[in-house]
Parts: sequence; structure tokens; C-alpha cells
Amino acid sequence: MDITFNISLSSYRTFLIKYIMISIGYWGIFKKCGVARKWAFIPVAREYHISLCADKEKEGRVYTVLSIFYYILEIATYFLQQFPRVYLFMLIPILGLFVALVIYSVKIYFGLVKVFNRKKRWVWGFFFFEGFMAIIWGFVGSFQPTKKVENLKMAEGAKELGRDLSVIDEGLTVNIRQRTVFDFYKKKNLLKDIHMRIPKGHMVLLLGGSGAGKTTYLNALTGYEKADANIMLDKNDVYKDYAKMKYDIGFVPQQDLMRGNDTVAMTLSDAALLRLPKEMSVMERENRIASMLDQFGLMAVKNSLVDKLSGGQRKRLSIAMEFITDPDLFILDEPDSGLDGVVARKLFVKLREIADEGKIVIVITHTPDRVIDLFDDVIVLAKDATRTGRLAYYGSVKESYEFFGKTSMEEILLSINQKDEGGEGRADEFVEKYADIMKERVG
Amino acid sequence: MTVMEAYEVKHRGRIAQTFIYLGKLFRLFLFQSDWKVLPMSAVIAGLVAFAVGGNLYKTMEGTLMGTFALSCICVWNGFFNSIQMICRERAIVKREHRAGLHITAYVASHMIYQAILCALQVIITIVVCTIMGVTLPQKSLVTPWPLVDLGITLFFITYCADMLALLVSAFARTTTTAMTIMPFLLIVQLLFSGAFFSLPKEAMPLSNLTTTKWGLTALCAQGDYNSLPMVSVWNNALKLKNVEIDGGKPLLMMFQYIEENDMREDILMFSAQQNQKPEYDFSIDIVIRCWLWLFMWTCVYIIVTVILLEFIDRDKR
Repeated sequence: MDITFNISLSSYRTFLIKYIMISIGYWGIFKKCGVARKWAFIPVAREYHISLCADKEKEGRVYTVLSIFYYILEIATYFLQQFPRVYLFMLIPILGLFVALVIYSVKIYFGLVKVFNRKKRWVWGFFFFEGFMAIIWGFVGSFQPTKKVENLKMAEGAKELGRDLSVIDEGLTVNIRQRTVFDFYKKKNLLKDIHMRIPKGHMVLLLGGSGAGKTTYLNALTGYEKADANIMLDKNDVYKDYAKMKYDIGFVPQQDLMRGNDTVAMTLSDAALLRLPKEMSVMERENRIASMLDQFGLMAVKNSLVDKLSGGQRKRLSIAMEFITDPDLFILDEPDSGLDGVVARKLFVKLREIADEGKIVIVITHTPDRVIDLFDDVIVLAKDATRTGRLAYYGSVKESYEFFGKTSMEEILLSINQKDEGGEGRADEFVEKYADIMKERVG
Repeated sequence: MTVMEAYEVKHRGRIAQTFIYLGKLFRLFLFQSDWKVLPMSAVIAGLVAFAVGGNLYKTMEGTLMGTFALSCICVWNGFFNSIQMICRERAIVKREHRAGLHITAYVASHMIYQAILCALQVIITIVVCTIMGVTLPQKSLVTPWPLVDLGITLFFITYCADMLALLVSAFARTTTTAMTIMPFLLIVQLLFSGAFFSLPKEAMPLSNLTTTKWGLTALCAQGDYNSLPMVSVWNNALKLKNVEIDGGKPLLMMFQYIEENDMREDILMFSAQQNQKPEYDFSIDIVIRCWLWLFMWTCVYIIVTVILLEFIDRDKR
């Protein structure tokens, strides 16, 4: 049987008219939202930029990628009409992509409705009459967004120290010039111009709002995600000697990442086998495991399954797993999350003891004020105007109050947080102030 | 002086780490109820033997259906063994990778552990089939023992599916995602086996991608498919015995003649001869070729799994 497909020209004409109507509407919407209007007519780019207007960038990325495939397949089917079987086969992914695109467009329109402070029923309008709705929203004056898209290209970051600090003999020297990533085809600065020297025996609080780059900083510090940086632990270069140095740095993640159906003793034993040197004798290794069980109060539960432990015990086990190598640099990401005040305090006292043994202990916590007396120093990271993580302060806890003019760590955090996060939005001010102080110090 | 400084820093390599993780996996086998896959495989084998075991290796149709069912239970077992293995502890693996774990050692430990699990499941399946009175191949091709030949094929099918599921587990970030992908893969394995369901000519090359195609082919070859009688033509013709033509029943007379002269078996064999498939010949080359295909796919899945896991550090929090 000879099957011929004649896709009518009118259906392509309809598609083209709809495309132009939506683009004209987007032109107006983009202008209102502060997005370059040229993108409204460019396929794929317009899908991404409408998501920015809707404050739905995450969904917009998926929407954009789906659009790319959709457009490619649509064009391919146009040229494959004379091959009926292939044409029909192509319709299957097109249908799948179309459904996904509709779902994501609805998500984005919900975001747009929120940004324009309109009732949700407007989404139905977009669903059935997308072109008309886009034109109405784009050109009727009463439709105004409550939030504009930030143009970070125009923003200027706070001034920098711009030079590396000299290396200290005993302690951690951090000189992070910048840490960048390519995020959805765009270069993004995550951290910039972070320089400090932390002496041994110090317990340091790492403070910063959401997205200020705390985890990125720690990952750069430990060499886990390398930055354009120079990280020296004593006289050892963490990046150059990463294979060796990673065993000298303990990192305790926020979640208790252990197998719940293994026993405490075996969990520690496996951690010891993985982390301790091969040359260590069985006796020494067993002694080390026993001392960890003892030091972290786990002796009584050593034969229990990890799942049966309390929150505090589990956290102590997680710390013991890292501390088993007796690292010089010990980093903990919110070790007190999920713990009550008394248990959390006990845990921090234990960390203080570790620091007093001559280690550097760096801790992220969201409730610093209840244990601030145990810390020596504080590192304050903040997002500057370009949304890059910057160093707003590093120094003693006591001097930090004076520097920020506040009386608690929570107040300091509020002062550096952006205004749209409920903060005072003074990050750039403190970043520059600290850079000036540092310039004076290092000459 | 720290613990680390006291020694020339050398840590356990890939082989030692493989055994550390192997120990861990066997502990989890006991404590995390992973052992349940063994009785489950016995139950599945029992059900399949009950449903389609009657004509397996007795007729062409029964053999095709039975070997397809056997391939399917092997794929099912393999999938269930490891579909959640990595994704359920992905964050833990990431932490351990940071602490010095070699991904190759981690995957190798899974390979060994799963191989043992698959071997046990194959033994269970064969024992259950034997107990249920299912006919199994009587002649051997590769080893001197037909059951060992059969066991190796079943093992290759199960293990290949197992490694595919391990790949999915390494790819998926969550157990929910893995369990969503699994039925889709299972359907592909069933539909594109290339034997049980008729595929368009253009789709036939796709069947080379499936574990079931190579498993089923090897199982049919081992059971000497082409020497078996074909009953479907006879059975369908028999349904027409009462058709009247000019007041008589010529087909009924013909069937009576065949039965009276004891020609039924000859007819069945003649019917089979017209439907023989060279790809199911009782040949060592065919069986070895199928094993090699299964082995190759297993290797591909393992390599991809390792590559995927090497990027585990890029996982977002």
C-alpha cells in the first residue's frame, strides 16, 4: 500500500502565526521584566528568558532543553514526510516532548502569575490562548511585574584585596582567588578573593547566608572541588598533594551518611581500613578503633546497628569515622542539626577538645550563639552585588561584634543577608571594609 | 606527630578495598534482608514451571514459550538483585569516594557479590524446575553435563540483567527513579527478544541489544529445538475435523486414517521440519556465540557503571 503524507501548508502557517503572536507578547513582557527584548523572537532563548521573568529558572532550564529537541524533531519531520514509517516513528518522541513542554509551560505560567500578582485562573488563559494572553500581559499597562530580573552583568562587585597572603608555618593558609563554574552555558563566579590564615588549635565558626558559598568554600579548602587557589596546610600544598593530604583532612557532612544496617564497630572498622595507612598493624588499628569508641562515647553501643542509635550517637559515630585518621584539619557541616541544645552543646565541647589538641576545627552551624563561647574565630561569607561569595570577615569572635556593630552572630548574619532574604543587604559594605583592613595589615 | 605522619602514607589499593566492600555487602545481605531475593527466585521459578513447564523441551511451541519464560525470570531476578543497590546509598558512596574509595573497587565488590547471588538463584531455579518435573536438556554441548550448560546460560542471562540494573542504579539518583526505569527496561527486554513476539524487519537489529534474545537462543539451541515436533499445525487442523464438504467430513476421515496408521508423529515431525530455525541448531558455535554476546553486554554495562560513578562527586547536595 502506498501511503503519502501531505502535511497541509495551513498547519505550518498556523504554527508560524502563533509563534509570532507569542513572540510579540514576550517582547512586551521581557521589557517589563528587564530582560533584553531581542530574545523574544529567538527560538529556545525566548523559552529560557520567559522562565527568568517567571522567577522559575530551574524549570526554565528543562523547558529550554526540551524546546531544543522539540524544534529539532519538528524540523526533521518536515523533511521526512516522504518516509511514512520514519515520520510516524518520529511522532512518538514529538508527542512525548509536547506533553512535557505543556507541563513545564504551565509551571512557568504559574510563576508568571505570581510575579505579576494575578489570580491563578489566568493560567487557563495562557493554556488555551497563549498568543493572545502574551500580548495582553506584554502590552496592557495594568499588568506589571512585582519583581524584575536581576542583570548581574551590570552589577559591580565589592573591591578586593587582590593579593595572596604569605604562608604560615603551622596552620592553614587559604588564598582562593576565584572559584568559577559553567552553569547552563554561563560562567558563574561562586567565590572570589578569599584570603586567610588559620593557626593550629583554633576552632572556627563558618557563618554565611544561604547561597553565600559555605559549602563551595569548604570543598575548595579540602581540594574536593579545586578552585583557582593556593591552599597550604602547614607547608603542604593541599591541591598538589591531594592524594596524600585528603587523609589529613576530615570532613563530616551534614547528613549522617552511614549504612544503617551495619554495626557501629564494623562501620568504624571499615572506615579505619579505608582511611588508615596500610602499614599500620592490626593491633594498632584495633587500638585506634577502641580509642575512637571510647572518646566518642560509643563503647556501649558498639555492637548495635547504626539504625538503632540516637541522633547524637549517630552524629558522634559520623565524626569518629573521620577523626579516626587524626586529621590536622577537621571540618563539620552543621553537626548539630537535629540535636537538642544539651546534646549539641556536649558535641561542641568535644570539638573544642579536639581543637585544643592542636587541630584546626571549622564548623558550620545555624545556631551559633548557643555555643559561641567555644569558638576562637569566625569566618563570615556573604554574597556581594554580583551574587559571588566573598569574605566579609575573618578574625576573633570578640572583634567580629565590634566590626559589624552587632551583639550576636544571628544579627551579623542578618546584616549581611540580601534585603530580599529579609536581611539588611550590607554585604558589600563589610566586604570592602574588611578588604581595607586587610590591606592595612599586609601593607 | 599525627597518626598519618607516623607512616609512609600508603593506603589500601583496589583489591583490598574490594574485599572490604565485599564483607560489607555480605553483612548487609544478612541484616538488610537482601537474602529475600533467594526465596523469591524459588517462588518465581515454581510459578513459571507450573505455568509453562509442561511442554518445555517437548515441542517446538512449548520450548519457545518455556525458554522465553525462563529468560524472563532470569532477567527479573537480575533486575531485582541490584536495581536499588547503588542509588540507595549514593550519598554514602560519594562520602566514601571523598575518603579514598576507588570506584572500580566498589563496582568490583558488587560484581563478585552479585555473581554469587546470581549463581545461587540459577541453582535454585534448576532445582525447582527439576522438582516440578520440567524436562530439561538431555544432551550437552560445551561441558560434559547438560545441566551445567543450562546453568551457565541461565547465569549469563541473570548476571547480564543484573549488571544492567546495576548501571541503572548508578545512573539514577534515587530509588524511586530506578524503580521507574526498571519496568520500561523490562518491557524492552520482553518485546524485543526477537523470537516470542514478531517484530518488523527494521526492528530486528534492536533485538541484539537484549539479554532475552541471546538467552533464549542459547536455551533453544541447548534443547535441540530443531529436533522437536511441532504441534500447533496439527492442533489447529484438528479444530476443523467436523467441517462438512458435500455432505461428508473429509478432514475427519483423514485424521482417522492418520491415527489408524500411526502416522501422527510423522506428521508432527514433518510439520516441524518445515519450521526449523537454523539459529536454534544444536550447535556449540551458536551457544558459545550467545554466551559471548551476553558476556560482552555485561562488560559494557560494567564499564558504563564505573564511568557514571566516577562522576559521583558532581552530585549536588
